[in-house]
Amino acid sequence: MLKYSFKRLSQSLVTVFIVVTLVFLLMRLLPVEGYFGDGYDKLTPEQREAILRKFGLLDPWYIQLKNFYASLFKGDLGRSIIYRPDVPVLNIIKLKIPYSFAFGIVAIVLSLTAGLAMGIHMAREKGRIWDRIWSSYIVFINAVPSAVYLLFIQLYITNIKLFRLPMLFDRHNTISWILPAISMSLGGTAGYAMWMRRYMVDQLNQDYIRLARAKGMSDRQIMVKHVLRNAFVPMAQYLPASVLFTISGSIYIESLYSIPGMGGLLVDVIQRQDNPLVQTLVLIYSVLGIFGLFLGDILMAVFDPRIRLEKAGGAR
Amino acid sequence: MNEPILSVRDLVVKFSLRGQVLTAIRKASLDLYEGETLAIVGESGSGKSVFTKSWIGMLDANGWIDSGSIMFEGKNLATYTTEPEWLTIRGKKLAMVFQDPMTALNPLRTVGMQIQEALELHQDLHGEQARAKTVEILSEVGIDEPEMRYSQYPHEFSGGMRQRVVIAIAVACNPRILICDEPTTALDVTIQAQILELIRGLQRKMGATLVYITHDLGVVANVADRVAVMYAGEIIEYGTVEEIFYDARHPYTWALLSSLPQLGIKGEPLYSIRGTPPNLFADIQGDAFAPRNPNALKIDFVKGPPFFQVSQTHFAKTWLLDPRAPRVEPPATIKAMRDKYERYAL
Repeated sequence: MLKYSFKRLSQSLVTVFIVVTLVFLLMRLLPVEGYFGDGYDKLTPEQREAILRKFGLLDPWYIQLKNFYASLFKGDLGRSIIYRPDVPVLNIIKLKIPYSFAFGIVAIVLSLTAGLAMGIHMAREKGRIWDRIWSSYIVFINAVPSAVYLLFIQLYITNIKLFRLPMLFDRHNTISWILPAISMSLGGTAGYAMWMRRYMVDQLNQDYIRLARAKGMSDRQIMVKHVLRNAFVPMAQYLPASVLFTISGSIYIESLYSIPGMGGLLVDVIQRQDNPLVQTLVLIYSVLGIFGLFLGDILMAVFDPRIRLEKAGGAR
Repeated sequence: MNEPILSVRDLVVKFSLRGQVLTAIRKASLDLYEGETLAIVGESGSGKSVFTKSWIGMLDANGWIDSGSIMFEGKNLATYTTEPEWLTIRGKKLAMVFQDPMTALNPLRTVGMQIQEALELHQDLHGEQARAKTVEILSEVGIDEPEMRYSQYPHEFSGGMRQRVVIAIAVACNPRILICDEPTTALDVTIQAQILELIRGLQRKMGATLVYITHDLGVVANVADRVAVMYAGEIIEYGTVEEIFYDARHPYTWALLSSLPQLGIKGEPLYSIRGTPPNLFADIQGDAFAPRNPNALKIDFVKGPPFFQVSQTHFAKTWLLDPRAPRVEPPATIKAMRDKYERYAL
């Protein structure tokens, strides 16, 4: 188990290194106008060169990369240029994380509960009416671009006088949390339901279910003791990644409801070409993703003895 | 003979498949006696498994018992429809061992826990007691270092050992009737004999009644007291193992025995039954085996035969036993066996 974790961890670190380098290099391909702030037209060519030199952009790319890694290890990710001039990017992001995180956690809890319940219900009612009803929900969510139905939710549900839900997020107004949180959980619910149903049906068709029945276990006991746990194992792999991604927030929903989170920030700083901020955000997103997958693999190994003992001398 | 422990009468089992109704078991009748070992033989698709599965309510969701009765301990199991009813006997009184031990165990639960589940359900043992009993059963089914094996997972066991675990689960149920559905088919030959020996030993110890489902007639000769031959969803002949092997009367039994490589005559091509089993979606007119039977009589195509008694224990469902029927000689291999038997037995 330790050996396995260590192996997966080192693989993840290599991936992180590659991703970080790629992100950095790709950022060098972006136009440099962003570095001049709003006064681009008023600057003389000499002043422009001075600014570029200040940011180290005139050095060859490998020197820039070396400098980038040097400051990264010191915990310095640079300063914002346009969004909040001269403020360290980490300070800006720090303020955004709590909102994204809070919404993310609510969304995860909602979508996990609803999705797993829906998936279990579908598996038990396989081929019958409820299976079809929930299936059509899943097809809808996957087939219709989220921008469309999320916009409709915002427009039409806030229109219903009975609920009096506000159009935009306001941190002092509790009910303004409801719509964004629900919107964020819709996709996850469909995903969890679909996979849970699929894995449960897989398990229900296994031979060991037949033996468990022949043993005299009731359907309910079989569900709880055998099927649910076994169906959950493949799901476990994706859980940490989705939990971690909540920190980074939902790009679209945050800008839709003006939630001051990281997702909204990313849209903002890309539009305004604040390159150090974009670079840091993309970096955080990718590291979270890689780390999430790593945790998923570990979690799966915890649940599934066949992975755990693969190289430890078990029979076959 | 004493009273049967389980008595099946005119059982009809049907399945609905893509809107059509298939009759898998067609009025099969069978008595099972306390403590005996009965083998049910027949080719693939003859309904051996479905027949026994219907006794414990484990037909697939699209199957049902259409008519007939299954009497066990004074109750008619054929009338059971709900899960709680079946749970009063399934696993408790009638347990089943399946064919493929490689997939019969839950890969994510320890072997010990899977045996213990049965103990907790049927023997009212819990916690430490159940654990101790599980270890005891593990060693009873011939697993070394049972303490250590208790907390291992199925993938750490070989095929033969997994079958031992499956048998251990059946033992933990402590059933009155144990149904073994081709318990050795998936195992290699050296392991097969060990598993059969193990089952026999346990049967003696538990005093259980055993039902083997198999198409391996070698296994039958080894373990069975009585044999029932199934064809197209009905029992067409039954008797003691000697009666079936040396004095078979039904043309299908002859054909089945003739196709045994061990009984074939050297140099001659191995006998095989021509044609295919009847279509179970259609109504079968007369004797189901008639279209494949070289000796079929005219009446075989019109009216199904009743059971004719050959001896006190031996019955066969063929018009050939009717006093009015012409005399039909069994095939050479069967006659050779009969002669050999008479020579040595008398």
